[in-house]
Amino acid sequence: MNKKAGIGFYIFLTAFVFLVMFPFIWVFLTSIKPVGEIFSSFRWFTTSPTLDSYDAALTNRPLLRYMLNSFVVSGLTTIVSLAFAAFTAYAVTRLPIKGKGLILGIVLAASMFPQIAIISPIFNLVTDLGLRNSYLGLVIPYITISLPLSIWILATFFKKIPFELEESAKLDGASPFQTFRKIIFPLAAPGVFTTGILVFIAAWNEYLFSLTINSDDAWRTVPVGISMYQSQYSVPWGDISAATVIVTIPIVILVLFFQRRIVSGLTSGSMKE
Amino acid sequence: MKKNNRRGFQLNEKQLGYAMVLPSLLLVIAVVLWPVAQSFYNSLFDYRLNDPTRSQLMLGSTIDLERYVDNHFYIEGQLETLGSENEELSATATAIQEDIEGFHAELIQDEEMKQKVEKIDEMLASYTPVRDNELKYADLDNDFASEYRDTLTNAQNELMSAAEQAPNEEVASTITQTADLLGATSENILESNFIGLANYAKYLKDSRMWGALGNTAFFTVVTVALELVIGLAVALLINRAFKGRGLVRASVLIPWAIPTAVAAMMWGFLYDGQSGIVSHYMEVFNLIPGASWLLSTADGGMFSIILADVWKTTPYMALLLLAGLQTIPAPLYEASNVDGANKWQQFWSITLPLLKSSILVALLFRSLDAFRVFDLIYVLTGGGPANATESISVYAYKTLFAQQNFGEGSVLSVIVFLCVALISFLFVKLIGSDLFAGRTK
Repeated sequence: MNKKAGIGFYIFLTAFVFLVMFPFIWVFLTSIKPVGEIFSSFRWFTTSPTLDSYDAALTNRPLLRYMLNSFVVSGLTTIVSLAFAAFTAYAVTRLPIKGKGLILGIVLAASMFPQIAIISPIFNLVTDLGLRNSYLGLVIPYITISLPLSIWILATFFKKIPFELEESAKLDGASPFQTFRKIIFPLAAPGVFTTGILVFIAAWNEYLFSLTINSDDAWRTVPVGISMYQSQYSVPWGDISAATVIVTIPIVILVLFFQRRIVSGLTSGSMKE
Repeated sequence: MKKNNRRGFQLNEKQLGYAMVLPSLLLVIAVVLWPVAQSFYNSLFDYRLNDPTRSQLMLGSTIDLERYVDNHFYIEGQLETLGSENEELSATATAIQEDIEGFHAELIQDEEMKQKVEKIDEMLASYTPVRDNELKYADLDNDFASEYRDTLTNAQNELMSAAEQAPNEEVASTITQTADLLGATSENILESNFIGLANYAKYLKDSRMWGALGNTAFFTVVTVALELVIGLAVALLINRAFKGRGLVRASVLIPWAIPTAVAAMMWGFLYDGQSGIVSHYMEVFNLIPGASWLLSTADGGMFSIILADVWKTTPYMALLLLAGLQTIPAPLYEASNVDGANKWQQFWSITLPLLKSSILVALLFRSLDAFRVFDLIYVLTGGGPANATESISVYAYKTLFAQQNFGEGSVLSVIVFLCVALISFLFVKLIGSDLFAGRTK
């Protein structure tokens, strides 16, 4: 279906991209307006751009601390779940074990479990372990989301590596674990990296566990922290717009750099080959 | 794992396979399967974190030793003072004291209980709070517990009526004080809070639960349907070679990649009744009755949530479907062109059938995501106005953590779980074994 793209097509495309990007554009334009103008007019472009809102966003709430928290928690979650998932995905796709369907079934079922159904026992567990308001207290529940996701996506990547490589490694006298460590894992590295990006984004965006477990402001992550900008009495739209722009920038960079990988990871997780 | 590199300690492929699967499987069981089972178990209790008489799961009678030991410590002294200061009460006080001592002696007959009581006594003397629930709570025999509790409440009532006949207020207040102490002690002997399916019965008749379930189902059906139709249209349109693919792909990925809570805050601003641009333009073009309609009415709230979700997720849906479209071999279309089929016929007889499994898988994941919707609603409308946009997850969260009612909240969690299980079951039936086809051999 390789039709040539005409002028009408590009008009449609521009309109589509504009619609998708509109909230970001508007929020960015708002973030550089003087606060008084936000509440008084709907003009798109301000005549006196200012960074006051950014200043306020960073000083009224510990936004940078939120970002650090999110970064550490998501990073740890990604590393832990990739380590566990790489072994499992390898065993399920390439080793002669029984019950593969059952194992993948459990993994898939686990990824479908609603977080609200496990939150209260997890909350009690984390409280008993004394891990509330800590990084580890979030990494444990985040495993529930990230581990099934990593196993599921990694399994597709491992599946794609030709089986002949293993056969010849075996003939050369490599043990099964050596084959995994020296042959398969390096070849799957791009897939592992892609999975890592997706897991990182999933952990970065998590809200419910973070809201309940890390209730202390110093330990909040970005999604929860940003929702705390609105108070019962006033809504500081200037601060909120600026904060939104600040926390969106890392994601925009991530997406721009790794868009191909992200798309390949997303589609491999949901399509059969 | 490292060991198998050593000579003489090599695992064969099968053993290695199981060894590799085991850690993940244990982890999944520990953090996913066990908590679900625990949620179900919690839902059978009248379990409230903010009520000390019900903050534990108690199948049988239980005693809160920390509070009991503390109260018991004062009883003897108070009763003695009471008896010596009021002659007419001294017989009653002694009788009560003897009764209580009898029960207390029976309680600490048990060697383990005695040790616990002594340990707690020491901790209380040094003002150390008892954090270990194993130490703090102990099981009691049901008959003993109810007898002891009755004795304490009877003594309390006896003293209360004595207080009414007291000659002056000062005496009355001393008596009441002692009576209250006995009452408080009786509350340290806890009845079982196992209530079976009573919580479920309550929610089956709860209109707020049915409302939340209805909202969730409506939200799921409408958003997933819109996302599928719009996503498919967009995927069909951009399934061709054009300049700037990368840019389009990146711009489409950004809404998907940002946290839902951040998206909800952004849309909250766009919908705002005073300074929101979307509500402003919709009012100007007479699409809505007034700028504040979006967030302050039931219909407006639901519309706002659906629009925000469609904005955030349609691009993702389009990407998934686009990937599916690109696996359809071009010769199929060429052949049907030769046969004189029009675009519409091609869509129905080639594109849709070959895209079926992609669509079903995408629908499965999206429906499950939509059904457990929490952050979008919680941040954007908080479930309001008047619970009109409350999803079942939001209701469960409020019951669990705002009211600290873990028993009733767990019922709502279990309901979400059952619905999700049902949806998955139906989809997996439809999709069949295709779901695993790419992964196991």
